[in-house]
Amino acid sequence: MKNNKKQKYNNFNKTLYYYGENMITLDLELKDIPGELIRALTPISNMGVNIFSVIHLREKKTDGRVPVRVVISDAGNRLNEVINKLEEMDIIITKVNETTRKTDIDIVVVGHVVDTDVRDTIDRLNKYGLVVDLDLSMPDPFKESSARMKVIIETDKLDDLCKELDKISEEKNLLFIKSF
Amino acid sequence: MKVILVGFGVIGKGVVKVIDKKKNHLKSKYGLDLKIVAICDRSGAAIDENGLDLKTALKVKEETGKISNYPEKGKNMSIVDVIKTVDADAIVEATPTNIETGEPAKTHMIEAFKNGKHVITANKGPLALYFNELTSYAEKYNKIFRYEASVGGAMPIINLAKETLAGNEITEIKGILNGTTNYILTKMEKEKLDFDTVLKEAQELGIAETNPHQDISGLDTAAKIVILANSIMNKNVSIKDVKLEGITRITPEALTMANKSGYTIKLIGEVSENKLEVGPKLIPIDDPMNVKGSLNVAMLNTDLAKEVVVVGRGAGDIETSSAILSDIISVYLRTKNE
Ligand SMILES: NC(=O)c1ccc[n+]([C@@H]2O[C@H](COP(=O)([O-])OP(=O)(O)OC[C@H]3O[C@@H](n4cnc5c(N)ncnc54)[C@H](OP(=O)(O)O)[C@@H]3O)[C@@H](O)[C@H]2O)c1
Repeated sequence: MKNNKKQKYNNFNKTLYYYGENMITLDLELKDIPGELIRALTPISNMGVNIFSVIHLREKKTDGRVPVRVVISDAGNRLNEVINKLEEMDIIITKVNETTRKTDIDIVVVGHVVDTDVRDTIDRLNKYGLVVDLDLSMPDPFKESSARMKVIIETDKLDDLCKELDKISEEKNLLFIKSF
Repeated sequence: MKVILVGFGVIGKGVVKVIDKKKNHLKSKYGLDLKIVAICDRSGAAIDENGLDLKTALKVKEETGKISNYPEKGKNMSIVDVIKTVDADAIVEATPTNIETGEPAKTHMIEAFKNGKHVITANKGPLALYFNELTSYAEKYNKIFRYEASVGGAMPIINLAKETLAGNEITEIKGILNGTTNYILTKMEKEKLDFDTVLKEAQELGIAETNPHQDISGLDTAAKIVILANSIMNKNVSIKDVKLEGITRITPEALTMANKSGYTIKLIGEVSENKLEVGPKLIPIDDPMNVKGSLNVAMLNTDLAKEVVVVGRGAGDIETSSAILSDIISVYLRTKNE
């Protein structure tokens, strides 16, 4: 930790202060594989930004990924640099302080999911978010199949994603059952 | 208080049974001496300005199918003439719902207002199509218009939002407003059966109607969400404005997929600032909206109270009649000193 003044925590307007210094919370979603946490923390500390704590958010729904809250010192104008660096490394940042940046949505799809070019469907959704955890079930080649997927998306792109889903639904006669 | 009952089917008979059962309770608790002065069905009417005998009315209908066979007091009079000429404080409208024209209920309601009678109804059709027109008639003739039973049967929602939650701004309403589709989806999920099989079984059990189109296409839910949007959120929308998708394409595999992600699938009606839709939605397994069987549920999102959730029975003669009775009592309480 940076200096040896008496530690002083303050909770003011949902912003944490440490030595009168702003603290920032980043909520990350990490892949559930060994070394993933270190991989996320290393670039932060390499930028000289202090990491105050790392909390596992176990109460949150995970579905194969590990949600973690990292509290760092205010990187000032370098916050964006930190965010960009992590996102370049495909690390998902769901929240910065209390502001939701990204959210997980779940979708179940009914229809001829594969025959209607599932690759194209995913590519089109990836323009707005990131499709992860795709799971297909095909009971019978002639019957409609179903699929489920999770999309990680910036909250302000949700409306656009909905419009794209409506378009795809019409073109490919797919039914999208959404969690929101 | 004198009431004309228009429509003597499942709900009409339920209202009569409930009033008959609660007669003493109404008198001792509210000082309400409730008389049914006319009952109408397609055959005509039975009329007695001193109050019909309710057991006789039920017996005549049961045995002959026609209320006009009521001894001495049965007549072949049209419903509109009954509304115009029989002296009463209010009508209870319980004819079938028509979501294309709203008739004949719309005419019954307007005639009632014009002839100085309050209107209490369980009928969704006219409300979903002509809400503003009907409320302006009520205002013009200074009469009360209550329709709690039209959405969610016995589940309290309209009066809850307008009266109990008064002062809150309601920003979003969503819920399961159709018991038949909830029954079907619950059964498909539990027993891994396909839609057609479960629908057939529900029809045999009398849970789904012989013509289930309005339920499974989502139209019934659309009518209800429109009523909530207009009456609670002051919108000016109609069924045509609802983005609509039914449940006919839901498969057991889709339900299994949803379960694997921690969800179930429910037919949800939803209204908020820029949303008015009915369609199948993923609802988290542990969400309060995941109610089973033919139950209805609604969640109101409000500025002060935050989320409020109600669950109840969306259909059934006695259940739905309880909502009609509570509307009758509140009309009485509001007008008894006039
Ligand atoms: N059933 C429920 O659980 C439930 C729940 C909530 C709301 N509701 C609403 O309550 C209302 C009544 O439902 P219900 O189940 O009681 O229906 P129902 O059993 O079919 O009864 C309808 C009644 O209206 C009469 N009627 C039919 N067509 C008519 C016409 N063209 N003009 C005048 N009267 C006519 C019928 O006469 P006859 O007896 O001579 O055939 C019958 O007495 C509907 O609007 C429904 O949407 C029902």
